[in-house]
Amino acid sequence: MGSVAAGRGARFVVGGGGPPTALTRLRLARYALVLFCVVVLSAKQDFSFTRPLEFLHQNSPTPQKYLLETMGGGVALLDYDGDGRLDIFLVNGGHLPGPFHRENSKYWNRLFRNNPNGTFTDVTVAAGLHHAGNVYGMGASAADFDNDGHTDLYVTNFGANQLFHNNGNGTFTDITVTAGVAAAGWSVSAAFLDYDNDGRLDLFVARYLDWDPGRNITCGTPFNAYCRPDKFPGTTNLLFHNEGAGRFRDVSTASGITAFVGKGMGVAVNDFDADGFPDIFVANDGMEQFLFHNEHGTRFREVALEAGVALNDNAQTFAGMGAAFADYDNDGKPDLLVTNLALEKYALYRQEDAGQFAYTSLTSGLAALTSRSSGWGVGLHDFDNDGWKDAFVAQSHVLDNVERIHSGLRYLEPPALYRNVRGHFQAQSLTGASPVAGRGAAFGDLDNDGTVDVVLPILGGRPLVLMNRGAAAGVTIRLIGVRSNRDGAGAIVRSGTQTVYATSAGSYLSANDTRIHLAAPAGPISVEILWPGGHGQTVRGIPVSRVTTIREEIE
Amino acid sequence: MSPIPLVLILLFAQSVNPELSQLVETGMKAKVAGDFDDAIRAFRRLSELAPELAAAHANLGAVYFEKHDYAESIGPLRRALSLRPDLIGSEAMLGTALLAIGDASASIAHLENAGIGDLLGVALLEVGRPREALDRLEAALLQHPGDPDLLYYLSQAHGRLAKSVFDRLRAQPGGTARTQQMLGEATAAVGQRAEAEKHFAAALASRSDLRGVHFALGELALTGGDYSRAETEFRAEAVRSPAHAATAYKLGLVLMNRGETAKALAELTRAEKLASDMPETLLELGKALVLAGDVVAGEKRFRRVLEVEDGSLLAEAAHLQLMQLYRKTGRGADAERERIALQRLRSRGTR
Repeated sequence: MGSVAAGRGARFVVGGGGPPTALTRLRLARYALVLFCVVVLSAKQDFSFTRPLEFLHQNSPTPQKYLLETMGGGVALLDYDGDGRLDIFLVNGGHLPGPFHRENSKYWNRLFRNNPNGTFTDVTVAAGLHHAGNVYGMGASAADFDNDGHTDLYVTNFGANQLFHNNGNGTFTDITVTAGVAAAGWSVSAAFLDYDNDGRLDLFVARYLDWDPGRNITCGTPFNAYCRPDKFPGTTNLLFHNEGAGRFRDVSTASGITAFVGKGMGVAVNDFDADGFPDIFVANDGMEQFLFHNEHGTRFREVALEAGVALNDNAQTFAGMGAAFADYDNDGKPDLLVTNLALEKYALYRQEDAGQFAYTSLTSGLAALTSRSSGWGVGLHDFDNDGWKDAFVAQSHVLDNVERIHSGLRYLEPPALYRNVRGHFQAQSLTGASPVAGRGAAFGDLDNDGTVDVVLPILGGRPLVLMNRGAAAGVTIRLIGVRSNRDGAGAIVRSGTQTVYATSAGSYLSANDTRIHLAAPAGPISVEILWPGGHGQTVRGIPVSRVTTIREEIE
Repeated sequence: MSPIPLVLILLFAQSVNPELSQLVETGMKAKVAGDFDDAIRAFRRLSELAPELAAAHANLGAVYFEKHDYAESIGPLRRALSLRPDLIGSEAMLGTALLAIGDASASIAHLENAGIGDLLGVALLEVGRPREALDRLEAALLQHPGDPDLLYYLSQAHGRLAKSVFDRLRAQPGGTARTQQMLGEATAAVGQRAEAEKHFAAALASRSDLRGVHFALGELALTGGDYSRAETEFRAEAVRSPAHAATAYKLGLVLMNRGETAKALAELTRAEKLASDMPETLLELGKALVLAGDVVAGEKRFRRVLEVEDGSLLAEAAHLQLMQLYRKTGRGADAERERIALQRLRSRGTR
């Protein structure tokens, strides 16, 4: 590993080799340009579909059709052992109705270590993550909340949630009680973010319905079907402030979050108005979406309607499920993509003027592509490394008997990749993709080759690992915050027209690679980093197809 | 139905016989007090003592009727009418009682004589004469607009009339194109989409010039989210029905969903020319105009939606579009007004 000076005295660590000379750089750039043209003309990005993980998700379907049983299946990508490779944590359901029998190994959550040869090893017991408690598992979030250099895990459940502290030796310790983040009820997606820029990651938890199996009702005639969410009351989301020393303080009410009762599913984070403080989007099921504007780290104000992201273009609600908050049109401003049910069309909101979004599902081509699909986990990432973020969606209808209700719809659907061609989306067929019950989806560079791979948990099935093949060259950047939180969450990284917001949040029930991914089809690139708190840093010569670590420069 | 005229007749009877007078008084008092069994005993005894006195039978039948014992009321009422056919109250009660026990056929003459149009409509419907029933029920509805019972029977009458026509169409040898079209519409209405498509395809196979079939297929495709197919079908319908505003609107709507804004604008403009104040057209046309950069024309359409559809789901959409349009053009106060109007509508639950 070579350590290279960059920008205004900033230091970054490059995997392999020193800086190229000016002549070499010129030659490399020319070569890369030729290579890029060849790649674009001849290669087609695709995924290889594999099932390397010995994990069978247990959603425990029942004749009663508890809504809980069709909602689960989250995943977190995290480098738990610090070996530079992303490992995979999968969340399991449980027996229904309760007790959930999580002591039975078939209901355990599982952690798989990513081995150097591309295989995975189940390290659940060794890591101490097999004690799930009497809860029904939903999703996970991952971040280094205590800035000790080791990524920790937060697991959302129906029932109390769990915070597992990474001890740095391959094991975790359940510190939920002392940390004060157990919550209650039905938690779904969670997000770590430093909402007040104090250098410590806080925790936001989206909760779904005020429901339990004892208060279930049956829906559908002449046969049972999962109830619509409007049959049950919603509930509030939660916000925990990181007080340091492994403790959090519940600021849900003080921050204004609990003033809004929702039916939260996916959570995504970005600083949409570029005021230096992260904002939170919550995809709500069957009601208005929420956009919580961060009032400079003090309170949150719900602004979805005035910002134009609460409803579709006909002022109607939809079944918001997963959410991605990223700049798809390369104008430097984050946009929003919200997945929903078939016949609703995935909702794409392009940020036009500062803080104002326009519904662009129709004009972007996404409406026509998604009108018959139901989406859950979602990511806006540049999968083919052409410099434009594409959309990947885990798909399947919520009703396992939807064909009996609407002959034109299907319960199982293959995952979808919508390629972004200068702001307009086109369907890209995925070789080997078969219809599955997709729910969560996590995105990250599993093999550190500068491309974004996907892990797709399957409801009641075995997860899919999609390795990205044939894409043009890209870079993967690991940020290390010094004054900022150590993950660098909240940093904005720009390279040319590409803008990426550092966060593990987004999608549905899932935690993504915290590292930054950028296309670099013409060779090494330069990036500008705007760290939380507003100070900038420029780093040049970032090599392609490998991981580069950038440490926050403190002047 | 008031038995007051009968009371006058009974007064005449009282002057003739004191025992009859006593029975009349007892019967009337018991009836007024709601003591139907005592009233029945009194009027039954009266009818035995004066079997040719129509009023005695009429009152006995009336008490049974008020007791909702329709089956028992029929005999005395019939006897009363046989003695005095001009007793309109008894006629009305008899017709109603017969209908109540399910003998609609027998009730019709009495309801006709008594001039009770709404019940006559029901009786005619029950004996399988829906066309005559429709007339009676429509007339009754003019007297009692919004009456849920009348509306129910009216819908039944329309349904049966439609079914009788449908059965005739279906009985035609060889299964005509129109038969298939109607079968397609019927199966589509109950959500049998695949079946509906088969019938529509069969209709077109035998008569490709049929109007409405491509429109129906387009609707199926549109509601199923298949915009490509919907466009094909609506275009085919537009060839057959170039002056059909709904087809032009639907084609425009599909093109909007396909992201073909310029083409959608052309179709929606055509739809507006064909039918100027269709709120659905105005809304989509407004969106297309704004996307094409003609904000002023778009605003005009949204405002027109609010004029013709205040308080509907379309009005909510128009308020949203106006709010966003005003924000985009820097008219903050106007945008805020539209936001408040939208929230007010939504809180009223127009969804």
